[in-house]
Amino acid sequence: MRVQKHKLLWLVFFITSFAYTQQKDISGTITDSNGLPLPGVNVLVKNTDKGTQSNFDGVYTIKVNRGAVLLFSYVGFEQKKIVVGDNNVIDAQLIPSASELEEVIITGQGSGIAKRKLSTTVDVLTADEIDKLPSNQIDQLLQSTTPSAQIRLSSGQPGTAAIIRTRGAISASTSATPIVIVDGVRVDNLNSNAQLGIVTGGANVSALADIPTESIEKIEYIKGGAATTLYGADAANGVIQIITKKGTKGKSSIFYESRIGVIKATNDFLKYKRTGEVFFEPGLSLEHKIGINGGGEKVTYNFAGSVYSDDSYNDINKQVRRSLSFGLNANVTDKLRYQGSFSYVGAETNLDFNANSGNARFSDFEGGDLGDLDEITDEDFGPIRENYLLRGALTRNESTVNRFTNSNKFIYDILNNLQVNTTIGVDYRTVVQNQAVSNALQISRGAFPEGTSDRGSLTRALRNNFVVTGDLNFTYKAELNNFSFVSILGGQFFRNTDRQNRIEGSGGLDGTSRIGFFPTIVARDFVLENANYGLYFLENIGIFDVAFIELGGRLDENTSAGVDTDPLFLPKAGITYNISDHDFYREGGLSTIVSSIKLRANYGEATNFAQPFSQVETFVPNVFLGGLAVRFDQPGNPDLISERVKTVEFGLDLGFFNNRINLSGTHYDGTTEDALFVPNALPSSGLRTQVTNLGEISNSGWEFAFNADIIQTENHLLSVNFSYNNNDNIVEDSGGSPAFVVGGFNVIGSVIEEGQSLGYLRGTSATRAEDGTFTFTPNDVLGDTFAPNFGSFGFNYTYKNFNFYMTGDYQFGGSYTDLNFLLRHLNGVDNTGIPEDLVGTTSPFNYVNFFVFDNDFVKIRNIGASYSFGDKIKPFSNIVLGFTATNPFNWTSGIADPEITGSGIAAQNGFASGGFAYGTESAPRIFLTSLKFQF
Amino acid sequence: MKKLLIILLSITLLVNCTDDLRDATDFTSIENPNLLEPLFLGQPNSSSVWLEGMDRQMSLFLNEILILAELGSDNYENTQTFYSQFLDNLEIRIDDPDIRDTQNDLARLREMADYGLEEVGPQDPLFNEDTEAEYNFFKGMSNLYAGMYFSRLPEEPGAVPLTAEENYASAISSFTTAIGLNNKPEYYLARARAYYYLGRKAEAVADAQMVIALDSDLLRFARFDETDTTAQPAVNIFENALYERAIFDDLQPLPTLDFLDPKYSFVSPEEDAPIYYLKAEEAYLILAEANLSDGNDLTAQQNMTDLLSLIDTREVRSIDDTIEGRTQRAPGSRPDSTHVVVNGRSDLVLYRGTTVVIEDDGSEKVVPVIIDIPSISGTSLTQTEIDGISNDDAALELLYRTRQEVFMAEGIRFADMGVKLVMDLNEILLNDNVAEGDPGTVAIIPPFINAVKNDLDGFTYDAEAGITTTTIDLNAILVANKNSDDVLPFN
Repeated sequence: MRVQKHKLLWLVFFITSFAYTQQKDISGTITDSNGLPLPGVNVLVKNTDKGTQSNFDGVYTIKVNRGAVLLFSYVGFEQKKIVVGDNNVIDAQLIPSASELEEVIITGQGSGIAKRKLSTTVDVLTADEIDKLPSNQIDQLLQSTTPSAQIRLSSGQPGTAAIIRTRGAISASTSATPIVIVDGVRVDNLNSNAQLGIVTGGANVSALADIPTESIEKIEYIKGGAATTLYGADAANGVIQIITKKGTKGKSSIFYESRIGVIKATNDFLKYKRTGEVFFEPGLSLEHKIGINGGGEKVTYNFAGSVYSDDSYNDINKQVRRSLSFGLNANVTDKLRYQGSFSYVGAETNLDFNANSGNARFSDFEGGDLGDLDEITDEDFGPIRENYLLRGALTRNESTVNRFTNSNKFIYDILNNLQVNTTIGVDYRTVVQNQAVSNALQISRGAFPEGTSDRGSLTRALRNNFVVTGDLNFTYKAELNNFSFVSILGGQFFRNTDRQNRIEGSGGLDGTSRIGFFPTIVARDFVLENANYGLYFLENIGIFDVAFIELGGRLDENTSAGVDTDPLFLPKAGITYNISDHDFYREGGLSTIVSSIKLRANYGEATNFAQPFSQVETFVPNVFLGGLAVRFDQPGNPDLISERVKTVEFGLDLGFFNNRINLSGTHYDGTTEDALFVPNALPSSGLRTQVTNLGEISNSGWEFAFNADIIQTENHLLSVNFSYNNNDNIVEDSGGSPAFVVGGFNVIGSVIEEGQSLGYLRGTSATRAEDGTFTFTPNDVLGDTFAPNFGSFGFNYTYKNFNFYMTGDYQFGGSYTDLNFLLRHLNGVDNTGIPEDLVGTTSPFNYVNFFVFDNDFVKIRNIGASYSFGDKIKPFSNIVLGFTATNPFNWTSGIADPEITGSGIAAQNGFASGGFAYGTESAPRIFLTSLKFQF
Repeated sequence: MKKLLIILLSITLLVNCTDDLRDATDFTSIENPNLLEPLFLGQPNSSSVWLEGMDRQMSLFLNEILILAELGSDNYENTQTFYSQFLDNLEIRIDDPDIRDTQNDLARLREMADYGLEEVGPQDPLFNEDTEAEYNFFKGMSNLYAGMYFSRLPEEPGAVPLTAEENYASAISSFTTAIGLNNKPEYYLARARAYYYLGRKAEAVADAQMVIALDSDLLRFARFDETDTTAQPAVNIFENALYERAIFDDLQPLPTLDFLDPKYSFVSPEEDAPIYYLKAEEAYLILAEANLSDGNDLTAQQNMTDLLSLIDTREVRSIDDTIEGRTQRAPGSRPDSTHVVVNGRSDLVLYRGTTVVIEDDGSEKVVPVIIDIPSISGTSLTQTEIDGISNDDAALELLYRTRQEVFMAEGIRFADMGVKLVMDLNEILLNDNVAEGDPGTVAIIPPFINAVKNDLDGFTYDAEAGITTTTIDLNAILVANKNSDDVLPFN
């Protein structure tokens, strides 16, 4: 009742004040502490629903009564109140809020910790940065925009997977893909073909392609080590954490954005001009987005929806995407807040066949199957062109994805300094794939004789992946004299159920996509299920508010562990020392030059668990000619535990000239102990291979990030960024297991062997001896599949309402096998670079070194420009016109594109060596214009 | 707010106290849908589905060894594919993963037999002697193949490797046990083969005669499931290489054997072509070779005549092989016409292209030429040739040519050449009883084979003249070295 009374009093006050005062026009300019204008500041008349926003010059106008109180609020700044007096001009200067000064990182669990208190580094991508990027795929958003992630597009086909790594390859048995968390809820991150998914031979569809990217407030990329200790069982590869928009208090805003693009394949890496002439045709992409954002004191909300379609760069590929997302923040009571988010993404793609498929067209051409294409006469080439276009028209590799993600977070302030957070949410992703290999397609490629009508096949692959995440934690903050304490205690669980079914119909007629119409039907299924749960704690102790000590750990239990194992305890510890926060430093002369100095060091452990069910001995009743044929399957391993990555890290962050120039350097040293290897079994045992905690892998390296505001005037802002990372990866111990091939072929393989980098390239090399003859070295080391040196760079320039930016990345020091070249050579049409006196004297498999090239490249990923018209065109509060070019320029050391290594990605998130460039197209160039209207 | 706390507390209490709700809230329970050992053992009929598993395992093993053995011999040449990248030139390496897989699959066949005899069988209430005999038979086959293809191979996981002779002896012991349980002709034939390679003529002959007495057209074959799409599918891989991959134009036969290829071709969407690994023909060949070595040329003639009669009864499939692309990417590089004469002999090469026929209405139509290919046994042997057999090397050459033809695409030729594979690097590193350089880790290639190893698949072809000549005549070379311990065991 007290609240009600309160409201009534205000109401009375308002009515009376309205009755006795007159309205007048107030205007003014809102600036930040540097005097730069702040556009989009909410200006509210206190205790009314009346308000406005500042325009792009920071100017606002509003009609108010004398004596009213204006509230100026803007994200990241302290709210300011000014009472309206006689003056009709009220300028306001906003000062950054303390929380902005102390950027809060959600890292781990709990209610978030100020960045300056953390001993670990986190790469953050903000909403503004995301909005201007053209892609709507998470891996492509992060590529070239995060300083220390190595993201390699393994195929240009839509919906396909990028190989993602940060601090080296830590595992020989699983993919290096980070886990992905949306608003505290884990989502499906299968970054490869599913176990029973349709196979197109080199382009892997990926769940990362349909992670909702609408309405992202920010993305945190957490690289592993101590930063991921609290995340649990499979966070050793790092965590991509997405926080969605929940709406902002103030005037509601609506936007509509339209994007139109042209998608054009690149001919840069083609051997034959005709390949491009036959297969490539520029496509059109269209996208419409709409969004609403707003809210009041109690509830804020954000909605966004979009539809997208493109017909890609060739004659087959297609992509359609629809998405809806909704976010809400409700202050239920003074102490209880609820934050909910929901998103839906639907995607449909059609892919071409690639390299390792008998139906592949691109690799037939580029692999020299038809001879030297450019030498064939037009007359002879005509039928070939027609045939391959027909094969294209008959290609069906369709995937339909529907994904729903929901997160619910409850924040309850038990006391001012004690908060409880609960999160519960689900992610459900369902994929239906159809692969039709019709009679007509088989006839067209000469596999079946003309007239065949009963050999058509249709494969339908279904995958449902369901993840539930729950988390409950308490955060307690305290201060005692010169010490501060942040204590977090919590428990978390997630469970993942991956159910796959594959139905293969064969012997059918063409023209139907009903599997029941095929006389021979084979069904297969595959299930993975695991539950992971853990208790965690974190203590962050501040000393004189300059140094911070972190101690924490997680007790982790996992159903994928063997029966003879115990829960794992994963400890972490860190120290941070903000030297520049000392009073003596701030008052000293050096602080005008070196404005901030932060030293940090930490130790932490994180794990990767083995594929569920791989710990038990199993038998397989194979369906064999209509009956059952039982056999041994995996031998089982009751001692199987997660592989554990122990990372020691230290770093230094420096800011110069009031932090206009920032330099960050980190050294890490990570060791994967009990590394999960799938070594060859003792042949005489007859056993199948079994994943075992056998090895040790080390990764060490440096991460340097540099950014600077080179020009910073009233109208001009030019900032540049550059990063360099290196990684030294070695299999320290293979537990006595001989080398084993994890990718590629027997003659030129990606191999795991003690003393070499994970998945290095191995094969027989030929070198010329002094006497002119050739020396052949079997099992020669031919290079690292992952480039040990990499980084990103870019700039961002703003002049008033005009923005111009560029992002790019580079790598060097690694190697790849150009399999198209190898095939051309086997087909006798390409001997480039191979000594003439070697060709024909022995099998090409005895000189595979000639097919291995440096995988160095520099690639410009995005160049973009935009102009904001502001509120000059009514009724819009702003109109933004943008243009971006994606993948416009690249330089590579070999003739092929070293990124196109999709054929080396093992199914179901297996190890991806990425050392074989083969038979699929590079990422296309995309030229996109966008027009965004805000109301 | 107190209310809220009370509600929350009540919910928590409910969650913890109600069993029914526990099912809804227990996030730790998972269900492994796979078949675990305790659930399998003891089930009625578990021994028979286990036997089916061994049958399938035999198919998987044949998938491995046939590629190696046929490419390693003069039967087939690898023209394009990544199927065994070394064996075609008889490059036998301890780090060849195909040899590793062959060894592993062979050991698995034996381990499955042992597990069947020790665990599955005894715990199955419906276990019977016929099944037990089959377990012993497969165990014997594992040892038999170990002797045929490896100079040394352990009989137990990580054990001291047995010599080929010891493996044959072990195989004989298993087959004898099997015969004691069930008097099946294939057990005798398998044992006859072991005796044959050991050079124990009398026992080989006795068993061969037993085979003919029990079943004069015996066939034991490995089956393949065309619909199998598991990681290691029991489809006929060799059929893929010969026929199904069609335009890939993978494995090509020696021109003298052209008329026998492809032995395996499309059967149905459900079942792949079978591989006959024990057939009565072998018994006649053993008898004939024994008789020749004993100077009984007339009896040998009778054996060969019987063989020819048997072969005449075997299935011949009429197939459309136009898609195979015998002439490869370089047209004219291989004989592909019925007019071609190979080593002075005609009718060995078939035409696999299309032809034009005149329809009733006078129009022309392009149709494939359907060719007849023996799917079990085929031979160019004629009665006239048989009638000319005498006690000389020419007869032996004829016999070995016939062996080669009859056993085309069945892996026997490689064993007849006396070549032996090696134990895999993993065995060397993980088995305390084996070290690199030990016997069994070095390939056995008889010197007279080694001398021609790069010419095994060689031939010249004059397309215009229609004349093909193979670079060597391996049958002549084998017979010329008949006294070697590595080949022609009865000599």
